Amino acid sequence: MAARGTAKRAAGAGAARGSEPQEEPPPPLQAVLVADSFNRRFFPISKDRPRALLPMANVAMIDYTLEFLTATGVEETFVFCCWKSAEIKEHLQRSKWCRHTSPNTVRFVTSELYRSLGDVLRDVDAKSLVRSDFILVTGDVVSNLNVSRALEEHKLRRKMEKNVSVMTMIFKESSPGHHARCKEDDIVIAMDSATNRVLHYQRTQGLKRFRFPMSLFQNSIENVEVRHDLLDCHISICSPQVAELFTDNFDYQTRDDFVRGLLVNEEILGNQIHMHVTTEEYGAHICNLLMYEAVCSDIIRRWVYPLTPEMNFTDDKNQSYTHSKHNIYRGVDVSLGHGSMLKENVLIGQGTVIGSNCSIMNSVIGQNCRIGNEVTLDGAFLWDGVHIADNVQIQHSVICDEAEVKEKVKLKPHCVLSSQVVVGPDITLSEGTVISLHPPDEEEEDDDQFSDDSGVNKEESKVKLKGYNKKDVGSEGRGYLWKADDKNEDDEEQRQSLWGPAMLSEEESESDSDLSMGSEEPDSRAASPQLDDIKVFQNEVLGTLQRGEEENISCDNLVLEINSLKYAYNISLNEMMQVLSKVILEFPLQQLDANLDSQNYFSALLPLLKNWTPLFKNYIKRSSDHLNALFAIEEFFLEHDSLCTSIAKVLMTFYQLEILEEDVILNWFSLRDTSDKGKQLRKNQRVSPRSVEFIVRVCVLQQLLEGTAEFNATVTFCGAAAVAQ
Amino acid sequence: SATAAAFIHEIRGSGPKRPRSEDTARQTLSLLRKIIAHGRWGWAGELMDLIRTEGQRMTAAQPSETTVGNMVRRVLKVIREEYGRLHGRSEESDQQDSLHKLLTSGGLSEDFSTPYPSLRANVIEAINELLIELEGTTDNIAMQALEHIHSNEVIMTIGYSRTVEAFLKEAARKRKFQVIVAECAPFCQGHEMAVRLSKENIETTVMSDAAIFAVMSRVNKVIIGTKTILANGALIAVSGTHTLALAAKHHSTPLIVCAPMFKLSPQFPNEEDSFHKFVSPQEVLPFTEGEILAKTNVHCPVFDYVPPELITLFISNIGGNAPSYIYRLMSELYHPDDYEL
Repeated sequence: MAARGTAKRAAGAGAARGSEPQEEPPPPLQAVLVADSFNRRFFPISKDRPRALLPMANVAMIDYTLEFLTATGVEETFVFCCWKSAEIKEHLQRSKWCRHTSPNTVRFVTSELYRSLGDVLRDVDAKSLVRSDFILVTGDVVSNLNVSRALEEHKLRRKMEKNVSVMTMIFKESSPGHHARCKEDDIVIAMDSATNRVLHYQRTQGLKRFRFPMSLFQNSIENVEVRHDLLDCHISICSPQVAELFTDNFDYQTRDDFVRGLLVNEEILGNQIHMHVTTEEYGAHICNLLMYEAVCSDIIRRWVYPLTPEMNFTDDKNQSYTHSKHNIYRGVDVSLGHGSMLKENVLIGQGTVIGSNCSIMNSVIGQNCRIGNEVTLDGAFLWDGVHIADNVQIQHSVICDEAEVKEKVKLKPHCVLSSQVVVGPDITLSEGTVISLHPPDEEEEDDDQFSDDSGVNKEESKVKLKGYNKKDVGSEGRGYLWKADDKNEDDEEQRQSLWGPAMLSEEESESDSDLSMGSEEPDSRAASPQLDDIKVFQNEVLGTLQRGEEENISCDNLVLEINSLKYAYNISLNEMMQVLSKVILEFPLQQLDANLDSQNYFSALLPLLKNWTPLFKNYIKRSSDHLNALFAIEEFFLEHDSLCTSIAKVLMTFYQLEILEEDVILNWFSLRDTSDKGKQLRKNQRVSPRSVEFIVRVCVLQQLLEGTAEFNATVTFCGAAAVAQ
Repeated sequence: SATAAAFIHEIRGSGPKRPRSEDTARQTLSLLRKIIAHGRWGWAGELMDLIRTEGQRMTAAQPSETTVGNMVRRVLKVIREEYGRLHGRSEESDQQDSLHKLLTSGGLSEDFSTPYPSLRANVIEAINELLIELEGTTDNIAMQALEHIHSNEVIMTIGYSRTVEAFLKEAARKRKFQVIVAECAPFCQGHEMAVRLSKENIETTVMSDAAIFAVMSRVNKVIIGTKTILANGALIAVSGTHTLALAAKHHSTPLIVCAPMFKLSPQFPNEEDSFHKFVSPQEVLPFTEGEILAKTNVHCPVFDYVPPELITLFISNIGGNAPSYIYRLMSELYHPDDYEL
């Protein structure tokens, strides 16, 4: 233990530690590493190998994460594994992390029952594994960050304000469009620039406009920064409270749930989240194959220095490389044929043999691969033991362990050949082809709600082994086609899941659609605020009335709600009247069927009108209100030609219910001609026999009205006439 | 052991900042001393194997940190000497054999297999002496400053070197002169150098690297530090030094290199690859640039190779030497069998 302490000081990792010798030594820094992604994004690749062990530049991802943790001064790491935990454990036990000289003690916690990050943290709490602040990472983070500064800040904050700040999230500054910025993970953050407190956190995938609550800018914080130039490193410094909070809120599944929940309940629980932004150091999280490609190329281009291949930080004999110009890395015993060119950014693992006249760039080649003559590799990621025959062309594809590509095969971008697949000879795989030895339907059988990488039995697949489709994999091929890009939208979407942004696990897509729904409204509002406020208001009123109808809410309460809406959207009384009439008239159409005929329409409308009479009475007081209501009714019937026959009945009902006064109706008739003509002119397409008929009828009505004193009778008559017709 | 792992971790540059050569040298020595004191070995040959394997591990971790290898070689030489003394060999024969002796001796090589109980203490004692010698290197170099810097001279330097800083400060105590510092982009250590010098009331000017050639005609002397002196008298120095040296050659300005002896490495520049050190391109083109980074290759080399013919004089802790004399110094410091670890 003493030796470890000195080692740490020598490593300089505890720069802060030296400055406070009197205080009691801080507890060793701990980390929780979640070596499972709890989704199937990397299927079918992760069927053979857990995601944490996928090789990045020939080194397993989890090694990068552990190296990052060790370099940053972590002394005890809990590795939580679920899917293929035995393999992860075996890998780590062979690695330098489990040697006794390792400054970072690695402990395993495995369980088949983990379904999410939430489960893991609840387990952390249940077993009370952490004693003080800890670092939370997933097993697919590549970073050369030194979190000691962020950690100091975090501790200081917790000292100043007792346990208010529970988490510090670490972000890397990077402008939008950067290839290492994962579209899925794009976020918009509002922060208090003085204290680095996170005020608002939102994923932006699929959103065109973002909505921020007004309260953000109205409270006492002086400077609020809204940032979209941040890359989430998926590294967070958590206090032990985080684990407790996960226990308290059993519905928190992901870190996002946690952040969102905490921000929403900030005032109630009094917990805050802070952030730390780094500009110089590197940190990225591999969530799909596009990110895999991006981060791999960043490693080769030395962005993650000192975690570059020739550093051999895993201390593995097979992993020693030399680095030469143009970022060419060569392992031991690599042979390169006559005329072959390694252009730039190439990593070649130990024992690989490359034939003559090959051209290789931007590629990673694993150990003990055999590559034939005249092969072109651009952006290819070959894992260990891959065989490539002559005259093969591969672009931006991933080829897993011991796969074989026969003569004259062409792989278009974004192809994936998983373990031991054979393709060819003489075949071209179209863009986005995924071939695996596991039949694809196998997945559907055990399709399980939680979309985690849970058990798929190998034996099972062997039993129902079917023949391979020669058209897909070539005459000597072995493997099943998973998803081909055959212009089918569905397939397109699935392809994206492995490579690109569109894929979402169930819960995520749900929450995202929620968000995008929410964004629709401000969308239109921003375009032209005045007009669209009314539209939004109209929708809201409709919603309110629907609810009122379903739940039988009394009219007084409805009035109250509508009033508050009115103020919320700043609606004038005139507009209010129009909207209300329109909504109520449209109500039967919305509720039942858009193609009602006028008879049914009226019968559906009548009870509603009767119910909501107090509503109208509340708003229709002055004569101008009456007129406005009438205009709205008129407009509605002009828009719905097929229903125009029922206008008379509707008017009559309004009159009978004493909503509209006789004088006003008569007044309206006198105004009618001009306004209606104006409308006719504006909407040329409305000049149909129907509408002409409508105007005629209204004229008849008017004449009748003039002739008779008893309005009531007239309307009844008119209604009868309309029905007769 | 854990200490060795931590040390390797640090020289890799994973630590918070780049280590100084002098610290690296001292740490290497203390680490080796620890291995000698606590390691399991019976006789000198076994100890040398132990030191060699440890040395290989450490040098492989970061080939550009030549100081580590140099100190390992120094320790091996110390063991040879101490063994020789105990073995009853004269000081004379310890020196490198002449060609005639080599021919007549008939391939008699030592096997270092006789165990001596006092060897451990003797070697540790000798290493302690080495450590003391290390302490004084910078001062020894600085002491020679007055012989080289005269009044009202214009001195040019590049980047930041602790040795050069001490050298110039020492001269400034007696003489008045002007210093021009090339900033040494992209890390711009030159800025720090200028700040430190101006605090000592030395008239200091910082300029961009591009101005080196233009300003050179006004300069009387170029004084620089280096990372490594190679066996042929060439330098591995901070990038930008080659430009400076070529400009100095063009204007026939003397180029003086201040470097302690522990930077002298018995390696030749044909092992090109091992001296490369490319760090993250962040300083050249920041990560925040966005889209363009996927389409460009950005390199950020740390070191330059400066051929020996561009160098006028080396000033080390044991005095001034011409590049052509380096081979001799080398045979004094290291045993030829240890050139290759």
